[in-house]
Amino acid sequence: MHERLSFFVKRDSPIHRLNPMTKVVLALSLVLIAFSSPWYWTPQAIFLLAIVPLSFIASVVKEYWNFFLKVILATVSVLFVMQALFLPGESRIIFEIFGLEVTELSAQLAFRNATRIAVMVSSFTILLLTTHPSELMSDLTRRGLPGQFAYVIIASLQIIPQMQAKAQTIISAQRSRGLDTQGSFFRRVGAIVPLVGPLVFGSLVEVEERAIAIEARGFTSTRKKTSLHDIPDSSLDRAIRWTLAILVVLSFALRLWLS
Amino acid sequence: MAIVNLQNVTYKYPLTDSPALQNINLQVDEGEFVAIIGPNGAGKSTLCYTLAGFVPHFFKGELTGTVEVAGNESSQSTLHEWVLNVGLAFQNPFNQISGAKYTVFEELAFGLENIGVPRDEMRARVEGALELTGISDLADRSPYSLSGGQQQRVALASILVMQPKVLVLDEPTSQMDPIGTREVFGVIRKMAGQGMTVILVEHKVEWIAQFADRVIALKDGQILLDGSPPEVLTSPILEGSGFGISRYTSVARRAQELGLWKKDRLPVTLDEAVEGFSLALTLRHSLWSQRGALPSPTGGGEQPS
Repeated sequence: MHERLSFFVKRDSPIHRLNPMTKVVLALSLVLIAFSSPWYWTPQAIFLLAIVPLSFIASVVKEYWNFFLKVILATVSVLFVMQALFLPGESRIIFEIFGLEVTELSAQLAFRNATRIAVMVSSFTILLLTTHPSELMSDLTRRGLPGQFAYVIIASLQIIPQMQAKAQTIISAQRSRGLDTQGSFFRRVGAIVPLVGPLVFGSLVEVEERAIAIEARGFTSTRKKTSLHDIPDSSLDRAIRWTLAILVVLSFALRLWLS
Repeated sequence: MAIVNLQNVTYKYPLTDSPALQNINLQVDEGEFVAIIGPNGAGKSTLCYTLAGFVPHFFKGELTGTVEVAGNESSQSTLHEWVLNVGLAFQNPFNQISGAKYTVFEELAFGLENIGVPRDEMRARVEGALELTGISDLADRSPYSLSGGQQQRVALASILVMQPKVLVLDEPTSQMDPIGTREVFGVIRKMAGQGMTVILVEHKVEWIAQFADRVIALKDGQILLDGSPPEVLTSPILEGSGFGISRYTSVARRAQELGLWKKDRLPVTLDEAVEGFSLALTLRHSLWSQRGALPSPTGGGEQPS
């Protein structure tokens, strides 16, 4: 069984040392600015001047660029092609295919939208790569997020891989008793039926037991919760958060003012 | 002084006709180590849930009689207050892992965070519980990457760290090897020695005989026997009713039928069996000596000096 159940990579970097809330604010601000700024080149600038340097400062170069090439680039490329083909744009036609026109304007808009999405996914990827999920949740709980809510998020992150492993065990068990899971489409669909019962009912029983187990450990206690980890929140963190908040407000204001 | 006091407790799960517990009367003293045995469906787990407050606060249904722990009555209390006094660990360790923590150390701290233990004390208590249950070396591992037996130790440690007055354990060693079982029984014995009251459901009768102060046999939701381990575990009432019986008891009972067992009481553990059979051999040996015809000693019989 694999030990790594989240994106988080343990490193010692200035970004890792930031308060989790600061990183959430950073990721959100980059996205909001990329989407709200009135200038065409803002998302591209954010990508080159914020995302790229951040991946280096956070020393997650390998992890981030690996994910960028495998997932982000593929997604935004498809997005770019679709948007370039379908966005209307009354301008010079670059080329035509199946009666769909790619114009200069539609290509420009498609490029900007694709970059916006790349910025969005990238900033959250860097957030997740540099922030331990339990630290993020204990910080958010400390700031008033209900404990139950934080638990659901964290537990789902861990339990999904466990469910996958269990489904695999059930499949193997059923196959060893002669269940045919290969062959035609209908046969495969039919093979799912005997898997659903054990997985779903098994999970329901598990939920009950897990509820008892966490209840036995004071989960619904009305006392004020404490936290094992001390999560530092420095004046630098607060300064960064305020600066970002101001930038977001400015970006929205400029947008309204210029339109 | 009785810390646990059950008076005429009868309980029926919702949507069932027959009660899972019938007229249970049970008093347990502070620091006592009580083992509960019984066949499947005898109500052992229900009794654990009742002691730990999950009946009636979590499982609805009909509870009559009174359940008292440390002077509080469970129907008058809330579950989150109740669990501060009574800790519960049960059989399946996998489902007892909170899922909210990434290391064993954090997993143990989960309960302490919930009840608001200050950080320094939390660290000290977690380290203590890790050491006690012999899993200090697993502190930084993910609880999901451990074996069943290791996870059971984590589940036990997660409850011990809460320092409840009464510890209720439902087959906590079911996935452990014999060495692990011995260690866990040692830990439980030690906790009882420090004043923690332990109520343990267990099938491994040889271990119960060595470690527990008292044994309760449960069947069909009723208490069948209640007494000292040798008394209860060798009782003929347990024969053929689905109770776990020590192989040493079975062998000695057979020997008794053939007139080869000379002691009053049947053995439960290996040591008791060896002692009893040596006595039988000695008696036979002295009988032969008196007749003056001493045969060569047969099959490993020890000659006591």
